[in-house]
Amino acid sequence: MYERTLNERESRVDWALGLALLGLFLVGVTFIYSATSAWDSFADMPWYRQLAFQQVIWFGLGTLLAVTFCVVDYRVWTRWALVYYWIMILLLVAVLIPGIGSMRWGARRWINMGLFQFQPSEFAKLAFIFAQAHFLSRPVEELRQSGVFWKGLGLTLLPFGLILKEPDLGSALVLLPVGMIMMYVAGVPVRFLRRFIGGSTLLVALILVDILYAPPGWQIKLENYQKRRLLVYFGRDYAPADASPEVRRLARIQQFNDSYNVRQALISVGSGGIFGKGWRKGDQIRLGFLPRGVAHNDFIFSVIAEEKGFVGSVVVIALYTVVLFAGLRTAGQARDRLGRLLAMGVVTLFLSHVFINIGMNIRIMPVTGIPLPLLSYGGSSVLCSLIAAGMLQNIYYYRKVY
Amino acid sequence: MLVFDQLKRNDRPTWVLTLLVSAAMGILLTGLWYLQVVTNKHYEQSQKNQSSRRVRYPALRGNILDRNGTALAENRPSYNVNLYLEEFSGQFQEAFARARAGRKLSRVDLDALGRRTRYQVVSNAVFEVGEMFHQPLILDEGRFLEHYTNRLVLPLPILENLSAQHIAIFQENPYKPPGLNLDIQPLRVYTNGELASHVLGQLQRVEKTTGDDEEELAFNYLPGLPDYEGRVGIEAAFEEELAGRAGIKAVLINHKGYRQSENILTPAIPGNNVVLTLDARVQRATEQALHGMSSGGKGAAVVLDARNGDLIALASTPGFDPNSFIPRMTSKQWEELSDPEGKPMLNRATFGAYAPGSIFKIIVGLACLEAGDLDPGQIYHSKGYFSLGRKNFGDTAPAGDYDFKRAFKLSSNSYFIFHGLSVGLTNIMEMGHRFFLGQKAQVPLRQEVSGFFPTAAWVARQAERGEAISQGDVANLSIGQGPITVTPLQMALMTGAIANGGKVFWPRLVQRVEPRSVGPVKVAPAGQVRGELHVNLRNLQTIREAMLADVEDSDGTGRQAAVPGLRVCGKTGTAQVTRGSVVVRKDTWFVSYAPYESPRYVVVIVAEGGGSGGGTCAPVAHKIYQALKRFEDQAAAAPRLVAQAFGSSEVGR
Repeated sequence: MYERTLNERESRVDWALGLALLGLFLVGVTFIYSATSAWDSFADMPWYRQLAFQQVIWFGLGTLLAVTFCVVDYRVWTRWALVYYWIMILLLVAVLIPGIGSMRWGARRWINMGLFQFQPSEFAKLAFIFAQAHFLSRPVEELRQSGVFWKGLGLTLLPFGLILKEPDLGSALVLLPVGMIMMYVAGVPVRFLRRFIGGSTLLVALILVDILYAPPGWQIKLENYQKRRLLVYFGRDYAPADASPEVRRLARIQQFNDSYNVRQALISVGSGGIFGKGWRKGDQIRLGFLPRGVAHNDFIFSVIAEEKGFVGSVVVIALYTVVLFAGLRTAGQARDRLGRLLAMGVVTLFLSHVFINIGMNIRIMPVTGIPLPLLSYGGSSVLCSLIAAGMLQNIYYYRKVY
Repeated sequence: MLVFDQLKRNDRPTWVLTLLVSAAMGILLTGLWYLQVVTNKHYEQSQKNQSSRRVRYPALRGNILDRNGTALAENRPSYNVNLYLEEFSGQFQEAFARARAGRKLSRVDLDALGRRTRYQVVSNAVFEVGEMFHQPLILDEGRFLEHYTNRLVLPLPILENLSAQHIAIFQENPYKPPGLNLDIQPLRVYTNGELASHVLGQLQRVEKTTGDDEEELAFNYLPGLPDYEGRVGIEAAFEEELAGRAGIKAVLINHKGYRQSENILTPAIPGNNVVLTLDARVQRATEQALHGMSSGGKGAAVVLDARNGDLIALASTPGFDPNSFIPRMTSKQWEELSDPEGKPMLNRATFGAYAPGSIFKIIVGLACLEAGDLDPGQIYHSKGYFSLGRKNFGDTAPAGDYDFKRAFKLSSNSYFIFHGLSVGLTNIMEMGHRFFLGQKAQVPLRQEVSGFFPTAAWVARQAERGEAISQGDVANLSIGQGPITVTPLQMALMTGAIANGGKVFWPRLVQRVEPRSVGPVKVAPAGQVRGELHVNLRNLQTIREAMLADVEDSDGTGRQAAVPGLRVCGKTGTAQVTRGSVVVRKDTWFVSYAPYESPRYVVVIVAEGGGSGGGTCAPVAHKIYQALKRFEDQAAAAPRLVAQAFGSSEVGR
């Protein structure tokens, strides 16, 4: 059967994962510094107010949480999975209530905690992975029943719908591949998944065609900015075909403004060349063409790509690949199906974030405000990424040992 | 290691996930490779295009010098207060935040608010500058908006051409608003004010949007810094030489369009100096003499070197101060310059076409002498008028007996009509053409007319139209009236040809064009002969003696031009300007050269609305000759003084 490739003396700490995460964190802090140093107010900010330093704090806090998390067996943690899940659902509902959730850029995504604000959708992803893994780790035979499939799907779609309502399309969408892959890995019959994916793909295609091509009266109501993002991504004109020249002109301007971020990100990445312009020497960020509000979070990859070029991009991709492959190894070595599902969930979550975020920077994915794990500035994101990594380490620690 | 050990196991989901991860990373890498390596140049270009602007900046304009190196037009530093908008960007933001006060506004309202607050901030700063100088200073909102929209990377000029006192106030004020700077800009200055203004011409402020080369016409070119361009005169005719080549600056801008830094792409090449044949001293004396003219009004004077056609002075009155165009003209100044009566910007010496009147008798006389139709000694009896058919031509010369010299110096119309009719139109025309009447003399002033002189073709055309040239017309032409107009410059060239023995020169106004520092000098050769008269020198001598008598004899019409020690030869003329049959004005002339023995100077004066050639113009010529003689005497004395100071040993030898 299985070869005995491991021995008891082998390390219980996943050094490859740890080092890759540390590498990503260092790259992140370095370029958050670079991006924020272009701010007019940068010189006036005391060191402890600077985002790069705050990111270090978040990282420290996250590492602490991850280590704490590792102390207790993941199987013990998972007993409480449904509790996490429902607390998160409550928070996701709470964030939608005007008094509790705070509005920023037209979306209610943050809960103000006084000292800091946190994004429940980030933590919801983790809670969802726990709940889904907990649910799917039942005997394989049961998974063959369609009822279980529908329950698993329901578990996915509940937070999906709530996050979509914020609205935060990116974070919501990430839940789908995570849920699907976890069901696939658990052993839910592929034909269920195929039907669901086929069906939803068709539905999404229909919705897209409706949004992009249907006459205004027939279109599904979408948030205006969401619709425009889709139009930008698919390169469609804002103005309907029968619009007057004036409407068309205004729409052109609006479109030009809306596609601004993508355009500037693309110019940043493209103009980086092979070796880049050098740290803190990226013209796009120095001159403010890459919007300063997003350069240090959603578009941090553009900053790296411009300043360190293709070489820098390859390094970042390589670090993520190490993290992902380490995660897959952990999944393969997991003691039980629960651990395997948890690890696969975390890997899929990371993969989705990395692919969507970098894809958005190079215009192969539409713009969605979804952070790049450990590189983007943001407390919730860093904490969640490190807790997820801690989960991997936990599973690795209690892996099969023969 | 990593997942690879796991892959040896028959674990389908791990395989699928591994492939998924590899595929996703592969797609990202391919995309990145395509953007950053394959199409990198395209994005580099886009990045440059959106973040840099090219700005043209004018070169230092060349000087205009007289023959002795005296500067007539040069540059002086002008101190301007400029406002650098990028330095205000922080204040803009603060003011905007204050004005918005956290309100929720539509995009359009936000834009409007931004525009308003920016204007308020800048206009406050401008007002403070005004306070500093105790003069009200208001920034026009439209002007600011225009500048903000189109020329954000350039400084906004607030005050130009500061006085020394204001410069001191500005520099010593420690509380001046930041973002204001005192910049130096070279500005054209005509050192001598009105002197030779019609020759120098004037500049006009222009905004040149393009570079000199086609390839420089990148789309991100900006309307550059203000520049000046010659409109007329030497400034216009030698625009290319004087202007030099504008430089190009590359300005790095940020996403808001504010200037971040700049560097020079192509340095400006300063313009060349243009050296004229004019002598500033003679020019001044000429202008002063012209201003002192008894008719007081309008006229022109030309001083020409009879030996080579060099223009020594070229004056027109009334004049104007070309400095008033720099940096820009007030509307009051413009009104003065547009005066339809005085037309001060008109260069009457080359652009004024007048009937020559009696000075044309030089050509008629020469035509008659050459044709052998006139014996200078033969007596003609004048009745004091000349009858042709039923028409009588009046005469200012009294009735009596006239030989050529007497007829010439008393300017007898009867005598010249008689001989003009006798020699015929063809001969007169032929002689006139030898002096290139009716043709431009090609002075580089962009303000020249050809005048009018009949040609055989014109005569034939008139005959076809049923307006054949009558004997009356020929009689009129014989005394320089009727179908003829000439410019003072043409008359100077004519007089020069009489004086120098028959050479009609091309006039020369520019000697050479030389670079500011080192480089090739372009020289315009002196004494370019346009045509020879091919006349009998004895006949020429007859004319010269008659001209000498006109000035030196006590009954000569030009006796007021006489200068002791300088034998002046001249001819007066008075042309009647008629509208219908009414005489509205008399244009008076005096053409002359000196000295009689070896002619060097030609002086031609015309006065619009003068009394008579002898009474109005000859005194002007007198003053000019006096000045010429004085300068000659000084020049002759100077080497002697030098010899006395340094050359004792040579004297001793």
